[in-house]
Amino acid sequence: MANLSMYGEMIRIRFLMMLAYRTNYYSGILIYSINIGAYYFLWQAIYGSQETLGGLSVMQMTTYVAIAWMARAFYFNNIDREIAQEIQEGKVAIEMIRPYHYLAVKTMQGLGEGLFRLLFFSVPGMFIIWLAFPIDFSNSLNVWALFFISIIFSFIVNTQINLITGILTFFLLYNTGLIRAKRVVIDLFSGLLLPISFYPIWAQDIMMFLPFQAISYIPSMIFTEGFTGAEVYSALGIQLFWALFLIIPIQFLWVIAKKQLIIQGG
Amino acid sequence: MNVIEVNKLRKEFKSYSSRSGLKGAFRDLFTRNYKVLRAVDDISLQIKEGEMVGYIGENGAGKSTTIKMLTGILTPTAGEVRVNGMDPHREREKFVRTIGVVFGQRSQLWWDIAVQESFRLLKKVYKVSDEDYNTHMKEVIETLEIEPLLDKPVRKLSLGQRMRCELAAALIHNPPLLFLDEPTIGLDVLVKMKIRAFLKEINKKYKTTILLTTHDLADIEALCDRVVLLDEGKIIYDGRLDELQKNWVEGKQVHFEFQELVEVSSLEELSKDFDVKWRPGERKNQWVATVEGDDDAVSRLMSQVMLKHAISDVKINQVSTEEIIRNIYEEGIIHG
Amino acid sequence: MFYLSIFFQYAAQYLKTRMTYRGDLVVEIFSDLLFQAVNLIFILVVFGHTALLAGWSREEIIFIYGFFLVPYAIFSAFFNIWDFNDRYIVKGEMDRVLTRPIHSLFQIIIERMELESLFGVITGLAIMFYAGSQLGLELSWYDPFVFILMVIGGAFIYAGIFICLASISFWSDSKTDIMPMMYNIGNYGRYPVDIYNNVIRFVLTWILPFAFVGVYPAAFFLGRTEWYTYAFLTPVMGVVFLSIAYFLWNAGVKRYRGAGN
Repeated sequence: MANLSMYGEMIRIRFLMMLAYRTNYYSGILIYSINIGAYYFLWQAIYGSQETLGGLSVMQMTTYVAIAWMARAFYFNNIDREIAQEIQEGKVAIEMIRPYHYLAVKTMQGLGEGLFRLLFFSVPGMFIIWLAFPIDFSNSLNVWALFFISIIFSFIVNTQINLITGILTFFLLYNTGLIRAKRVVIDLFSGLLLPISFYPIWAQDIMMFLPFQAISYIPSMIFTEGFTGAEVYSALGIQLFWALFLIIPIQFLWVIAKKQLIIQGG
Repeated sequence: MNVIEVNKLRKEFKSYSSRSGLKGAFRDLFTRNYKVLRAVDDISLQIKEGEMVGYIGENGAGKSTTIKMLTGILTPTAGEVRVNGMDPHREREKFVRTIGVVFGQRSQLWWDIAVQESFRLLKKVYKVSDEDYNTHMKEVIETLEIEPLLDKPVRKLSLGQRMRCELAAALIHNPPLLFLDEPTIGLDVLVKMKIRAFLKEINKKYKTTILLTTHDLADIEALCDRVVLLDEGKIIYDGRLDELQKNWVEGKQVHFEFQELVEVSSLEELSKDFDVKWRPGERKNQWVATVEGDDDAVSRLMSQVMLKHAISDVKINQVSTEEIIRNIYEEGIIHG
Repeated sequence: MFYLSIFFQYAAQYLKTRMTYRGDLVVEIFSDLLFQAVNLIFILVVFGHTALLAGWSREEIIFIYGFFLVPYAIFSAFFNIWDFNDRYIVKGEMDRVLTRPIHSLFQIIIERMELESLFGVITGLAIMFYAGSQLGLELSWYDPFVFILMVIGGAFIYAGIFICLASISFWSDSKTDIMPMMYNIGNYGRYPVDIYNNVIRFVLTWILPFAFVGVYPAAFFLGRTEWYTYAFLTPVMGVVFLSIAYFLWNAGVKRYRGAGN
């Protein structure tokens, strides 16, 4: 129980830290709004006079874009870069002797950051967007509940991928290239820029076997009711699968990394 | 000729205070409290060519801020600074060619490349001619004994090795004025001594003016004739180091270590004929007497005490500079 | 002249250091290529569902993208200052920079350059030539000169915007994530600005003029005469924005507070 309250405190501290940076806060809202606005018009132009594309109507697509960016505010974090930096500066060795699990701490910090953005970014941001653009919010409580479950999984899967990228710094020394590549791949394959259903069938088939769609595509489709009925539950099942499966490589890499740390002394 | 000429120099920082708790943090999003902090408070200072000056003060007394204004890193809020006849911040690029700077906690050298590559890059940056570089740097490298380190990347050097290279790097353009901010921090005694000897030598040879901040007063004792003491942004002493010693205390310190517990009242009773102050020492049953007066007084006091109480150890000390300075900061006044 | 020779000195050192971490260099070039591919894939996928985007064909959009890559590559090679606040202000490296006899901005540029990003110039040219040949564009004798002018203008605009953002660090003590997010906004200048509403178009033209690093100058080579005025404003905007950035930077350096001591 003591552990739990310690991690709770870490979430709280990160939350306060985020709140302390107010330039960050105001500029963040502005930039997210510009992003969503630009994509809104881009999609309007892409649809042109067509009613539906990739199984989504214009209205659904607009909602998709808005919710995908707002969900990103929650699951997105930079802990891979933080871990890489702490490894390069030799701070990880110190973290190891502290009475907590380093990766758990990083995850909690990410969660604090995510919760902050969800409450202070996404909620007011969504309200502004809702005023500015025609967006279709579901009035079914069920959809909202499932969406929230789904973005929790988004956070878990995205954070796990970040942890893997971060830990790899132990073996690569310099890691900026990989971190950048990971970010690009996630933006594209997670469904943030393009719903997976827009891709050619063969590409969709490949993406089915990758964890990225669990990050953005699934929650956004649940929210826009692009998924209905049993589809929703199997999508959540996919997210659950990846959340559990990714523990394996993380644990594996972490054990090797710790060994390496002992040998090299950080 | 004055190398450094400072008149009523002041630097203020605005600092924001954050409210506590979640509600406070939320309010900080809209309005914030701030207060103005005066880090350097109207100081005036002249330093002549060839002087070695120790600049000391507690953490946060304004040492670094002053150094940063003198080197052109920060702009003063008010007051005048002329260093080497220039305004450091306004003519920064021209000015910094005439100074050398070593920050003990920050590296000037490139982390990944060999030391001599860093030197070569700096030689270009400071537009040093091959001739000057060869004659001057050869000596520097020899005196600092860094010849064998030159082809190693900086990240592979120990702290002591790196510091010597940093010092050499700051001298590439043979500047007439050298700023050293904590140059011996974290170094072992041998390296410290080597660095001190080197600084003395360049001061003698090139009449290099040196301004030095340090926490290790042994550096100051070894190098500086003159010290400037800073407290809360103000200069509280500026003068010769030996004057400081002379004026602050004439007396000596006697450390008694007794075999058993001794009450201070009994000691005071014993020594009521002397001008003496007692304070507990750092060890168990240890008491320190600061005696004003001549050697005779000291020996009489000692025999009085030792007659009454069994002792296990006794030492007579001159009051150390460190102690003088500690006293100045604790009591905030200057004797004499 | 002095600055040029210093630049080459640093570039030589940079290459030496880079060669010691070859593994990361390869990954970085690969990730650059990947990044360029992602945007191309986006365009291709979108045009899998529509033939025209507000009257512009797939090849035209691809051409704009190819053009964009060239100034962008130059910008990323020399103005890698998105982490300026962390690296120089918070960690106090700015102190060191200010004790050297070179303009502080120039020092940071040469310290942080990433020459491998210049590969983007080749990718960009390749994409332009591919799309250009598909469109049957012809090359006039003056096109290369106009191209160089436009590229410089575009790189200046990007540099100007990011230097301005970096300069904010001199005033605000807090860290910001604006810079990474700004990279996203830069992408919107690659689409014909007439698809956006007036507010966004105004922002992309005059406030954060990313449209000058994409659709406007590219319109010149695509022969879209209705955009020529904007196209020829590109170098002007570049000079204006870089000058603003330069003055803002110099004003900022005066305000520099130093790292906490």
